[in-house]
Amino acid sequence: MSRLLRPAVAGRALLLVGFLAFLIAPALANPYQIYIANLMLIYILLAVALNVLIGFAGQLAFANGALFGIGAYATGLLRLDAGWPLWAALPVGTVITTAAGVVVALPALRLRGLYLALATVAFAQFSLWVFVHWDGLTHGVAGFVLPRLNFSPLPATPIQGLYYVSLAVTVVGLWLAWNLVRSRVGRALVALRESEVAAEALAIDITRYKTIAYGVSALYAGAGGGLFACLLGVVVPEQFNLFAIVVQFCIVIVGGIGTVWGAVFGAMLLIWLQEALRGLQEVQEVGFGGLLLLTLLVFPGGLAEALRRLAPAWREPLRRTEGDQERSALEAEENRHGSGTAR
Amino acid sequence: MTLFVYLLSSGLTSGALYALVAVGLVLCYRTTGHINFAHSELFMLGGFIAFTFHVLWGLPYIPSLLLAVIAGFLLGVLTDRAVYRPLIKAPPLTMVLATVGFSFLLKGIGRYFWGGQGEVVPFPPLASPAPVLIGTIPVFPQQIAVLSGALFCMALLTLFFRYTRAGKTMQATAEDVRASFLVGIRVERVYTLTWGTGAALAAVAAVLMAPLTLLTPDVGFILLLKAFAATILGGLGSMPGAVVGGFLVGIMEAFAGGYIASSFQDVSAFAIIMLVLVFRPTGLFGVKGGREA
Repeated sequence: MSRLLRPAVAGRALLLVGFLAFLIAPALANPYQIYIANLMLIYILLAVALNVLIGFAGQLAFANGALFGIGAYATGLLRLDAGWPLWAALPVGTVITTAAGVVVALPALRLRGLYLALATVAFAQFSLWVFVHWDGLTHGVAGFVLPRLNFSPLPATPIQGLYYVSLAVTVVGLWLAWNLVRSRVGRALVALRESEVAAEALAIDITRYKTIAYGVSALYAGAGGGLFACLLGVVVPEQFNLFAIVVQFCIVIVGGIGTVWGAVFGAMLLIWLQEALRGLQEVQEVGFGGLLLLTLLVFPGGLAEALRRLAPAWREPLRRTEGDQERSALEAEENRHGSGTAR
Repeated sequence: MTLFVYLLSSGLTSGALYALVAVGLVLCYRTTGHINFAHSELFMLGGFIAFTFHVLWGLPYIPSLLLAVIAGFLLGVLTDRAVYRPLIKAPPLTMVLATVGFSFLLKGIGRYFWGGQGEVVPFPPLASPAPVLIGTIPVFPQQIAVLSGALFCMALLTLFFRYTRAGKTMQATAEDVRASFLVGIRVERVYTLTWGTGAALAAVAAVLMAPLTLLTPDVGFILLLKAFAATILGGLGSMPGAVVGGFLVGIMEAFAGGYIASSFQDVSAFAIIMLVLVFRPTGLFGVKGGREA
């Protein structure tokens, strides 16, 4: 009993329960519920990726909504116009998106702060314009409808089959992201977020690690986009406008910026909210915009911080906890006193 | 030749509006160091408030404009109180995300009251819609109204900065907050005034623009991107740069739309932002400390 209550064990047990719940869900749920769960998995992937970029590396980029769109278009068009099966179209679509993300990253590496935000907003709108106006490739403003998936040798309906693909991709993605942020790369990203000058002084190759952050976020956005296209069965440019990235920002902030598990809980909560507010564009805008603002104003730590208060043993890697802040404030105070007495 | 003059005049007209929005944006940026992503929605709401007074309640154009400007100022003060002031010590990333959230909040409110299902709201023109001939060149009276209105506002703003106490304190605060505070300027009031003035300028631009195009709840964001292009082209933080940048963006997109293909009109603003940021991040007027901010 007492062993079960040890935080690491309890955490793993909870994780396993969550994973098993997602694993057996298709057997118990109706197709609509499977669809929602699938959407949650996709947004978990997107939010984790965005969090690596803005939470860990501190790069405020709006490009992920557009990369999500590029992933959806790449996978969708490979399936529709090239006639490729899912198992080929999804990886290649993801690779194409990652390449696009790295191409965006090259100029973005030189920009910081507001300049980066403005440049990536422009890129997002530019991508939207390309989706609408490159008729020959993208089928223009009306978008396109994808053929139904077929998992025929396997005993799975298209909905169940795609769900398990999403589950596999998301679990692998989460595992990779969790290991990434705890590794040398994660520490390097946090270092350059806190101070690029100091990071450079520690011999951290800023260009390399920033490119990694952009690449990882584009990789996940590409996979998420491809799965999203297959899940909805239709791709239209409007799905990838600025509101798409606002939803992702909102998930990251509400979940807890700079955390991995926060993004997971944030995605589940907000996708549920989005489905509840379905069809009411103005209510969605007020809801997501208001939630984003309110979280930043009132509870900037988000769900991850709430979780940490409920279960103090919960640890996110490289997260500055309140204890750390108090300690550093105390140290600063002591130093001030120290220098005071010395004088 | 006619096409050239036509494109030039429509470019100058939209350029004047971009310049007006960009000046409001730069005003806030210079004083507070932040870009207000909700500026677009202040613009949109200003337009719809004028629409309510003018079209729905039948007030004449000028009083509607003044009421919309007052409402815009109050919305700017709201931005200051609800978003900027509570987060004044937060990192820039937080502030940008907060203004993005605020902008969608306002956009949703605008859509709720004036949106409908993607319908657009016509705004009757100030003068007769028929073009008049100046020499051999046809000019729309509304274009002249927009251009003169925008230039009047800019002149007014210049006088405000040069001759009034409030304008001078705003400039001093933009120059150095700490020093301004030390010499007794009430910096927090200057912030409020700045957000209000920026939003009021956006409202003027919206009321001037509304008769030319149409109002939709999404109109603000499109204009904000043009204003971003103007500020980036002129150099982020430079007031004259924003004006010149606004006119240049307006003229360039008119020519791109007229001589290349009409769809290129929409994309030129994004292209300008990306190209300038990659090749000359300091803009035409070379603001120092570019790229960082």
